[in-house]
Amino acid sequence: MHHHIELHELILAIVIVLILVLLLIITVLGYSFYSYRILHNRQSWRQIIEYKIMETIVGGDENGDRDLEFAKYLKEPSFRALFLDVLVDSDRKFSGGAKQSINRLFHDFKLEDEAWRKLRHRKAYLVAGGVQELAAMNVEPAIPEITDKLNDPRTAVYQEAQYAIVSFKGYEGLGFLDHFDRPLSDWQQLRLLFSIHEIPELSELHVDTWLKSSNDSVVVFTLRLIRKFRLMTFYTEVFSLLDHPSTKVRVQAIRTLQAIENSGTIQQFMQNFDLQPIGVQIEILKAMKIAKSRESEYFLKDQLWNHNQVSIKISAAEVLVVLGEEQYLREISQREDTYDELTQIIKHALQEKKC
Amino acid sequence: MLILIAEDDELILRTVEHKLVKEGHEVVLTRNGREAIEKINELNLDLVVTDIMMPFASGIEILSAIKSIGKKIPVIVLSSMGQEEVVVDAFDLGASDFMVKPFSPNELILRIKRLINK
Repeated sequence: MHHHIELHELILAIVIVLILVLLLIITVLGYSFYSYRILHNRQSWRQIIEYKIMETIVGGDENGDRDLEFAKYLKEPSFRALFLDVLVDSDRKFSGGAKQSINRLFHDFKLEDEAWRKLRHRKAYLVAGGVQELAAMNVEPAIPEITDKLNDPRTAVYQEAQYAIVSFKGYEGLGFLDHFDRPLSDWQQLRLLFSIHEIPELSELHVDTWLKSSNDSVVVFTLRLIRKFRLMTFYTEVFSLLDHPSTKVRVQAIRTLQAIENSGTIQQFMQNFDLQPIGVQIEILKAMKIAKSRESEYFLKDQLWNHNQVSIKISAAEVLVVLGEEQYLREISQREDTYDELTQIIKHALQEKKC
Repeated sequence: MLILIAEDDELILRTVEHKLVKEGHEVVLTRNGREAIEKINELNLDLVVTDIMMPFASGIEILSAIKSIGKKIPVIVLSSMGQEEVVVDAFDLGASDFMVKPFSPNELILRIKRLINK
């Protein structure tokens, strides 16, 4: 049995569809307007907050009206959240008296409560934010709770806690490395390295323990630390890492040895060269390029002629150029018995020098 | 003294501006490198404070521009951590001094005074 659609049913369906479309348009417009308001508020609030910070740093004239207006905005939770964000951001820009002024604002406006609330929240990004804010504003009573967060399973939380503890305690804050079994990202390593300004002589933390860590990223970080502070006393321990199973560790060990080199380093590089994979060999040649030691001249010529990898030949030729062996390279490139590939490699190396 | 500040961070720009105005200097603000180079060509500046990393033209390009027009203007470069090599380039191009962010605005003012009194 067929049901014929009547005209009025069709009109009704069209009207319903039109109403739905209209509702959709109104919702989209409403949402866009709401987003615009939020964005607009944030922009104007940011200006007000930045002005307040600037005024505090410069020690400007008191302006009663503006202070009243500021106090009015502070009742708005999203304004307080933005204020805290901008304060933490500003804290990274200034030092000295200006930093202290920013810190004073944080305490005067009781933003500490906000940061504590975030620290105790369930959501990872809020906890990380709280850790960051309390550390930036140097709230020392937060250290025990932040220390607990070092074992948090969530990456954002434990990474922020590591950075915070190092900001509070400097080198002594690196104690977590003794038992850290998760990867320490390159970015995190750089953040930690930038936060450490000195290594106390009487520290109870032992760099050599971290060099023996089963966590490769901890070893790499320690090598970077040795490099940054030129810790010559760890030369032997670093050298022994040339036998490490990870190529990444070996590469970092070469860079570190180059940074803390002694009179025997180039000789040791040459002796160890054949035992290393290509990536490490290239790193050794880079170290020789920086060292510019004539000791390596015959070794480099040997690699240029006899190594079976083009990348090594190229690197060796480049170091020879740095050592001032251009004439030698030109001569062999013009010899009739020199094979084409070697001629091209030499031309490339000489061209690199010109560039 | 007429001092140009080239900095794309509004808070730093305004803070340094207010500090300098309080010290009795006249200040020109620019938020990108291209605008800074235009002002350097137009005005008789006594000193320039420039950030290294800026939109359109960097602090290094600003230094090159000053060098190319032959003006002898003291320049203080503001750099971030890890930009040591760029700072070396800046000195090669004639920078007079540099400060690493985070920096103290009070110290910047002292350095400006020192350069102006030279």
